[in-house]
Amino acid sequence: MTGRALLWWLAAASASAVVAACLIGSTPLGIGRVVAALAGAGSPGDQIVVWEIRLPRALAAFAVGAALGASGAAMQGLLRNPLAEPGVLGVSATASLGATFVIYYGLVDVGAFAMPLAAIAGALAATSVLTVAALRVGSMVTLILVGIGLSSFAGAMMSLLMNFAPNPFSLADMLSWTLGTVANRSFADLLLAAPFGIAGLGLLALSRRSLSALTLGEEAAAGVGVDLPRARRLVVIGAGLATGAAVSVAGAIGFVGIVAPHLVRPFVDHDPARTLAPSALLAGLILVVADIGVRIAPTSAELRLGVVAALIGAPFFVWIAARRSMSNA
Amino acid sequence: MAAHEAARARSLWSLFTAGCVLAGCAVDGSGLPALDEATASPDVPVPAASPAPDAPTESPRRIVSLDYCADQYVLGLADRDRILALSPDAREAFSYLRHEAEGLSTVRQRIEDVLALHPDLVVRSYGGGPRATLFLQQAGVPVLALGFMQDIDAVRATVRRAAATFGVPERGESLVTEMDAGLERAKRRAQSVDADILYLSPAGVSAGPGTFVHELIETAGFDNFQRQPGWRSLPLERLAYETPERYAVGLFGRNRSHVDAWTPFRHPVATRRVAEGPMTPIDGATVTCGGWYLVDAVEALVESAG
Repeated sequence: MTGRALLWWLAAASASAVVAACLIGSTPLGIGRVVAALAGAGSPGDQIVVWEIRLPRALAAFAVGAALGASGAAMQGLLRNPLAEPGVLGVSATASLGATFVIYYGLVDVGAFAMPLAAIAGALAATSVLTVAALRVGSMVTLILVGIGLSSFAGAMMSLLMNFAPNPFSLADMLSWTLGTVANRSFADLLLAAPFGIAGLGLLALSRRSLSALTLGEEAAAGVGVDLPRARRLVVIGAGLATGAAVSVAGAIGFVGIVAPHLVRPFVDHDPARTLAPSALLAGLILVVADIGVRIAPTSAELRLGVVAALIGAPFFVWIAARRSMSNA
Repeated sequence: MAAHEAARARSLWSLFTAGCVLAGCAVDGSGLPALDEATASPDVPVPAASPAPDAPTESPRRIVSLDYCADQYVLGLADRDRILALSPDAREAFSYLRHEAEGLSTVRQRIEDVLALHPDLVVRSYGGGPRATLFLQQAGVPVLALGFMQDIDAVRATVRRAAATFGVPERGESLVTEMDAGLERAKRRAQSVDADILYLSPAGVSAGPGTFVHELIETAGFDNFQRQPGWRSLPLERLAYETPERYAVGLFGRNRSHVDAWTPFRHPVATRRVAEGPMTPIDGATVTCGGWYLVDAVEALVESAG
């Protein structure tokens, strides 16, 4: 399958998954009623259920996956390490810390933008630290360890804030940021995060040529005219914006940014530039399907999407790390 | 020589570790009561070390409560001068008798801190963790475990039991009589009510059959819109097709502005429906912990029905 065919296939599968997600809910709705509601022809109740409850949730899962998938692919291209990903490198955790900080200090009431801005600030802080670390340390293992350290530190700070949560309501709110979910998301949530997410994805798209050249190594890339500092800025700010926007919608959801690029890479000749778009689509598709699974799982309380993503992604991460270790031996 | 130095290093390390362990044991070991410094009342006497009785032979005079549910029973029934310390949540917005808790000392829910106060009765519902009762009883401190009240009968029984333990059974009887009279009044007024109501909290939780709130809704003469048993997430999709005639929203004082970022309560479908109302605000403190003050919630519901 060529890269272009892959893109079309992933786009069609994602659209089908979103429509399938609109079929699932506590009210039984057949495909005819869902399609009619989507076309604006169903009963008012059907239209509310499909347009205001199910569709925003499915689109939120897709958008969050797309942002994390593209960020993961770009970070892997920049750092030339297939283990680089917003969740693994602590970017998602630091973004969640920003959101938790806002809740702890009651800044939620300042304005609707307080939460996404705090999450994005956290994500940008983490990506900046990682870039500085990448420039200073040659070892990719060390860089991953820096990311794990960032993630642990953000986790510890969140635990500290939760420890001193002013009331049980704030505590439950903070805890949800660490678990990750798209339940009860509306178009209002998506619209708040959209400017940041779109800007982030735009910056990542601008870095495509540099990412391709970086596969030759930094010196060779500079030799063919790539402005390395600019490339780093594009990826750092782009991944920070996109991840922060994703976290502001769904909390911390890890590993999807590692799984999608890894699956896509063989179809695009391992070219980081051509990995970005299909990674975004595949990660979005994975989260929409995972969210459908979350909703139909026969559990007393609804599973959290972040938990399911980690259950799938963490073994995948270990598998990639083990394969790298064996191939390096 | 190297082996000798290694052995010496091991000895020093062992000494250091032992020192740390001893230092850890010495923390808070002064024998002074570990009252919350910000709230400690200078009037609370620090007793001479005296063993607590295995069981109270007379009315307890040094009562400590470990959580805000226990706080309500202690504040509502015991003599104020017999309350040694309450839980740190006693003055929070979700504590019904928060104003009565003003001026009283608080203690953290650590068994060591509680024992340092030399109480002759500890009252708890969940405070101190699952092994608290065992620990305290092993230390010879009587414990009144209130449990969790699932219905109004359990509230009556618990009020009577707590009052008897505090040595004021007549006060308990009086509270039960007052509560029953309030419920009776509410029932009489509620006879004409023919409407359904949906109770929900800012966390997006609604109460179905089998919950304490469901019983209050029925006592107030309403039908419960939530038909699924237990505590359930707000039925967002159902609200798209049908709406209750009234909403009752449990709010907690200053926390009323804290709407969880993940709750269905902030979803546009829910906010629109609740805004279409009518909506009855219920002081969330009246429906927590299961106390005689549930009458306030029932009265608020009946009042809302006009």
